[in-house]
Amino acid sequence: MSCFAELVAATNYSFLRGASQPSDMVTQAIKLGMAGIGIADRNSVAGVVRAYVALKDALEDLSAKQREQFGFKLVVGARLCFADDTPDIIAYPTTRHGWGCLTRLLTVGNLRATKGDCLLQLQDLLDHSEDLLLIAMGDDSHAAALRMLRDIAPDRLWLGAAMPRSGRDHRQLARQETLARKLGVPLLATNDALYAEPDDRQLHDVVTCIREGTTIAEAGKLLAANAERHLKSPNEMARLFNAYPEAIAASTEILDRISFTLGELKYEYPNEPVPGGWDPQDWLEHIVLEAAKERWPDGIPDKANQLMEEEFTLIRSEGYANYFLTVHDLVKFARNQDPPILCQGRGSAANSIVCYLLKVTSVDPVEHNLLFSRFMSKERHEPPDIDVDFEHERREEVMQYVYRRYGRDRAGICATVIHYRPRSAVREVGKVLGMSEDMTTLMVSTVWGSHSGMMKDTRIEENGFSLDNPEIIRLKLLVDRILQFPRHLSQHVGGYVLTQGRLDEIVPIHHAAMEDRTFIEWDKDDIDALGLMKVDVLALGMLTCIQKSFDLMRLHGLGDYELDTIQHEDKRVYDMLCKGDSIGVFQVESRAQINMLPRLRPRKFYDLVIQVAIVRPGPIEGDMVHPYLRRRSGEEKVHFPSPDPPHDPDELKDVLGKTKGVPLFQEQAMKLAIVAADFTPEDANRLRRAMATFRNVGTINQFEAKMVEGMVARGYQREFAQRCYQQIQGFGSYGFPESHALSFARLVYVSSWIKCYHPAVFTCALLNSQPMGFYAPAQLVRDLREHGGEVRAADINHSRWDSTLEATDSGALALRLGFRRIDSFRKEWAERLMQARGEKNFATIEDLARRADLPRRALRLLADADAFRSIGKDRRQALWDVRRMPKGELPLFAAARQRELREEDDQPLPAMPLVDHVVADYQTTRLSLKGHPMEFLRERFTSEGVLSCADTDAAKHGSRVRTAGVVLTRQRPGKGNAIFITIEDETGTVNALLWARHINRLRRPVMASRLMLLEGEIQRSKEGVVHLMTTNVIDRTGDLDHLSDTHFTNPETTKGDKLANRQPSPSHRHPRDVRILPKSRDFH
Amino acid sequence: MRLTATNAESVELGLSVGTSLADARAVVPDLIIHDHDPVADADLLDRIADSCVRYTPMVAADPPDGILLDITGSAHLSGGEAQLAEAVATWLRRKRIDARLARASSAEAAHALARFGHGANDEDESHAIRRLPVAALELEAESELGLHRAGLKTIGDVADRPRSVIAARFGAATVFMLERLTGKADSPLNPRISNPPLVFERRFVEPIASKVYALKVLQGLLEEARVKLAEDDLGGRAFETTFHRVDGRVQHVYVETGLPTRDPTAVTRLFDERLDGLADPLDPGFGFDMVRLSVPSTEPLRPWQDDIESETKAEDNTAELLDRLAIRLGRNRVLHFRPNSTHIPENSQIAVPAIDTSMIERWEPPLSGEPPSRPLQLFDPPQRITVIAEIPDGPPKRFQWRQKPRTIIHHEGPERIAEEWWRSTNDPIGRDQLTRDYYRIEDDEGRRYWVFRRGLYGREAADPNWYLHGLFA
Repeated sequence: MSCFAELVAATNYSFLRGASQPSDMVTQAIKLGMAGIGIADRNSVAGVVRAYVALKDALEDLSAKQREQFGFKLVVGARLCFADDTPDIIAYPTTRHGWGCLTRLLTVGNLRATKGDCLLQLQDLLDHSEDLLLIAMGDDSHAAALRMLRDIAPDRLWLGAAMPRSGRDHRQLARQETLARKLGVPLLATNDALYAEPDDRQLHDVVTCIREGTTIAEAGKLLAANAERHLKSPNEMARLFNAYPEAIAASTEILDRISFTLGELKYEYPNEPVPGGWDPQDWLEHIVLEAAKERWPDGIPDKANQLMEEEFTLIRSEGYANYFLTVHDLVKFARNQDPPILCQGRGSAANSIVCYLLKVTSVDPVEHNLLFSRFMSKERHEPPDIDVDFEHERREEVMQYVYRRYGRDRAGICATVIHYRPRSAVREVGKVLGMSEDMTTLMVSTVWGSHSGMMKDTRIEENGFSLDNPEIIRLKLLVDRILQFPRHLSQHVGGYVLTQGRLDEIVPIHHAAMEDRTFIEWDKDDIDALGLMKVDVLALGMLTCIQKSFDLMRLHGLGDYELDTIQHEDKRVYDMLCKGDSIGVFQVESRAQINMLPRLRPRKFYDLVIQVAIVRPGPIEGDMVHPYLRRRSGEEKVHFPSPDPPHDPDELKDVLGKTKGVPLFQEQAMKLAIVAADFTPEDANRLRRAMATFRNVGTINQFEAKMVEGMVARGYQREFAQRCYQQIQGFGSYGFPESHALSFARLVYVSSWIKCYHPAVFTCALLNSQPMGFYAPAQLVRDLREHGGEVRAADINHSRWDSTLEATDSGALALRLGFRRIDSFRKEWAERLMQARGEKNFATIEDLARRADLPRRALRLLADADAFRSIGKDRRQALWDVRRMPKGELPLFAAARQRELREEDDQPLPAMPLVDHVVADYQTTRLSLKGHPMEFLRERFTSEGVLSCADTDAAKHGSRVRTAGVVLTRQRPGKGNAIFITIEDETGTVNALLWARHINRLRRPVMASRLMLLEGEIQRSKEGVVHLMTTNVIDRTGDLDHLSDTHFTNPETTKGDKLANRQPSPSHRHPRDVRILPKSRDFH
Repeated sequence: MRLTATNAESVELGLSVGTSLADARAVVPDLIIHDHDPVADADLLDRIADSCVRYTPMVAADPPDGILLDITGSAHLSGGEAQLAEAVATWLRRKRIDARLARASSAEAAHALARFGHGANDEDESHAIRRLPVAALELEAESELGLHRAGLKTIGDVADRPRSVIAARFGAATVFMLERLTGKADSPLNPRISNPPLVFERRFVEPIASKVYALKVLQGLLEEARVKLAEDDLGGRAFETTFHRVDGRVQHVYVETGLPTRDPTAVTRLFDERLDGLADPLDPGFGFDMVRLSVPSTEPLRPWQDDIESETKAEDNTAELLDRLAIRLGRNRVLHFRPNSTHIPENSQIAVPAIDTSMIERWEPPLSGEPPSRPLQLFDPPQRITVIAEIPDGPPKRFQWRQKPRTIIHHEGPERIAEEWWRSTNDPIGRDQLTRDYYRIEDDEGRRYWVFRRGLYGREAADPNWYLHGLFA
């Protein structure tokens, strides 16, 4: 048994000070044979849960017997750094009460500071020192403060002493000893560790430079002189402190006095929603039964009764009633608003009939045969986790309700730990190494998006940097190590922790950047690990869209619907989806989903569940998609791989029955590990955690051998085992559990149903919920028109702020674009206009200006958007007239409010050509109802033998074509092997696929074109999905210049005169003038 | 970061002014970029403008990228306006400057024609102006768009409308600009007046053959310079004299000072030092016909009172001495130490030319009550010694240096100093570097040494070497 524990150890949650992960610190301490370790980060407890989990994982690796003898102890606290000249104090709570004191103390400091800081004063510690053991890192100069501390905590104060190898350690140590004796406090040996191993020094130097905003070459003495602040073995420490054995012994004395562990943070649920006189469990059962009676007025089915009983039992035994009631309370609040806020639970909560009956989820588990144990189980001892989506525009109301109802001291948002990503890591480390920003920018220029896991060698080489260059290797070595380091804390989008008692006695609270928000220091993984309760109040654009659709349908007499009253299993809806006609529909509107629809051919609700789950990185990377499709179409027999005897040959049938023998859902992969690879439930649980919680690239890989070999040993084919494992790996980043896919599939069905039966309503609601989804308004409008819908332009006498629906002569509904489609037009102007309009339409521009009292700018924007057609003025004339309106307020007196502008003596303006109108439409509203820019270039392209999109789409399989269009989207999904490009012209769209091997040659045109000419071969799948397999891309953006001479400066410039073609300096040009087409939407 | 200027090739590749650098890089990964330096641009423009004085005295810079010449009355010197334009074009071409030239009867019109016209000046000016795009009016973007939207595309289109109609919609300023372009309103040119450089010269009617007299003249010029510098509260950091001989030979003499000065005696002394040291001594030959003094570099220098505090005087004397030494021995030979922030002892100070630093840098003060941690004398390179010491990191007990064994009776340490890993040449992050453990030690004869072990025992080296790095006083 060792006799030393390092009690002053920081992790990388002491942001930019520590240089090792908490788990590395714990693992190294165990490896060195310490008696324990104390994790104390700078004014924070953000990293302690990770340390706690690392220790739990280490224990799980041991056999039961070893576990008993395992004496290693983790204590957690914080290093208090003061704003006054008090020395740093490391504080460890000995009891649960002490923990509360510590977190309250930190909260005081956090809330005093304005931004991301913690301002502590000695008095704060004196006020909150109960049950805290204190280690002071001070010297003679701090005697006064130390004396005060000693007086309030006589037997709870130690004086820390270190051997930093400064050349005068021994004299220093003797002085500390004298000071300790004078104060009458014991001396404690420590190494004041900042990292686990000496090799971490380089990284520590780098983070020091990042913190100080300097480069490694200039940092000089800001850096540590040596690599001594790593964890040192007990023997080494005993040798260093051989003159002071009592200082070494003090470390285990402290350890022994601390009984507190994070496991003690017992959670108490808020009690608000329970009416007086009721027991929470009774109340829950009461309201669920009431709801059941309402759901099944003709008698509750046996199966439902049985499920409810089962769930009630578990909820009772684990004491979760208050949690369900709290979530129900939020949902009830949302539904009781006028108009109600649409909401729906997602995730595994959909497995629960209680959630269904409380209307938290909208999937009936009886109907879909879902297992409650997937949501919550006795074995796992983990609290339920219910995520609820709300309409994105109205989520704030729910969040404010949470604060109102539970109070700020009991409700807080979780933190999100922002990690270093390849871009930020390369940029910051590069800066430290003295590289120019241009160089590092270039190096990450081909990293698409910010989430691309590791910095791959190829990415660096792709950008022309040699990995033989020592500077580049240096950068890469350091970047690889800093990736996954936490960078700072931020607030989570909507995860709330609610408590019955004070929240700040569980975890410190911070101010969030957003006003009126506070967040706690732990993120959702920490909260999961500690078993605290959290409810996610999330925002979902599609819910806004659906709610707006329902409102519109009610308004126009198309029926009164709710999420669960839409007709089920309607053939027409599935017919539409089978065609891949799903623009705007929830989840299945992306290019990849649209391609999948005609192949999967969904005919019933469960098919949608599979559709949602299958186009995900997990199944794709595990190569599960094609086997599933082949089996579904009957090309391949459904076959369940079986193990060798004596194992049950049908063991996989239970696991994979629903999905034709192919694992598609997250829990199937889990189950597979248990059943086929002989994982113990604990192993599987850890695998699940590795997948779902700490998304650590390292941890999941250790399961590879275990799983593959486990399956092979039972007689499965290695290749199948490998695929299963790859899929689990894919799930690590993005996987859907079945219940989650079910909840989403509900919204897929509902949105498809609305699109199918009420396309105008659907498009109108989508436009009013922007920004959301995959497509820009222009594509949504176009889609509606292709479905025979009528779309009308914004107009001063017909439009409102939102887009609206108008009855046409034939009785159908036409979509009227709202003023919100006009760039820069303000909502307050629209409201003033609508109010002034009342029942009486505006007759003239002056009439509008006078009655609505709009500023000139508003009038100009309206005119430029061509919104004066109803008073007989086109864009050109309206703008000409609007410009003449006098500046500022119109005359005060009504008498003067007469038509006061004299007739002018001027020739009429030249007529505005259609092409100019189209271009102006795009510039002001990003879409045109009058035409498509490509139709004005058609002649030019036809003469070059370029096909229209419609002709391309109809071309024969294998034919080589050239086609051109405006770029809608560029997408480089997953591993980046292929780039998907969608272009559009007046006849339709073409989907092109470009293999990554062409990208080096074609990067320029691919990335920069607005108007693209593509050359390639048509590939037509048997389901009729057409792709242009592109081999060449030509940037034809320049052709847009010929659309309209209105926007380009010099009509007389000859083409060869390059200098004359140069663009004037941009400083006095609005970007709108340069841009004819809105930017494409690029997804990563 | 955005592009502020592009050349013809990059325009071909689809880049334009205003593109963000990251976007541009994505399009052209091997793009060559230079930092935008508006000061240098303005400077270049000024220099070109200065040189244009050869064509007319009435020159005005038209920032950021234009120069206006008022050639009224000076065109005939080049043989006419067209010839003058041709001469300017040829001259700029030779200097490899891309330029667009235009002649017109007003500065605005020329400005617009050069930027928006189509180059050749062979047609009637008012015609050319009418054909310019409305962009030539240089209105706010919003107004320009307004004209476009109305279908008015050229200056002519706008000029044909009644002025009141235009003024009501686009403001009186637009009409005024239109008038100026069409030559109906006048605008005077704002010619350049350059800052006269600090140059003082004396020409002689008769060439002077005496070197002594020439130096006297120089003294007089320095006195003139002193008066001029004092007026502006300036002092010179550099002075240059040129002696022009009758036969056209010019001799330059250049001196610098560490602190700004305008004291003629001090500067004369520096010139004397320099003249004495010249390999090619000042030789009047057939006589000098001009002596010129210029002060190319100045710094603010407040007037001060002499001789009230003798301490100030003393400091000035040091500065003067340093200047003289630097002149006599060469600027890179008179050095002084500056602290350098690093843990590596031998690099913790660097020597720089004394004349370059007028500011005294602060050295880190020693910790109070502590003995000095660094010796006064360092060996370069450290001297190898053989040592008997305890492993792994005990202090030396005995060691041998210069064939003499020494027994240690006092020691302190180690002070552990790691190498600067980013300077390693073999391993990118310096994993092969050896850490040093320094000890301050005293032998039985009272001599004090600074020794170190190179390499941590066990971790970095199996049998580390010892070195003597310095001696304490």
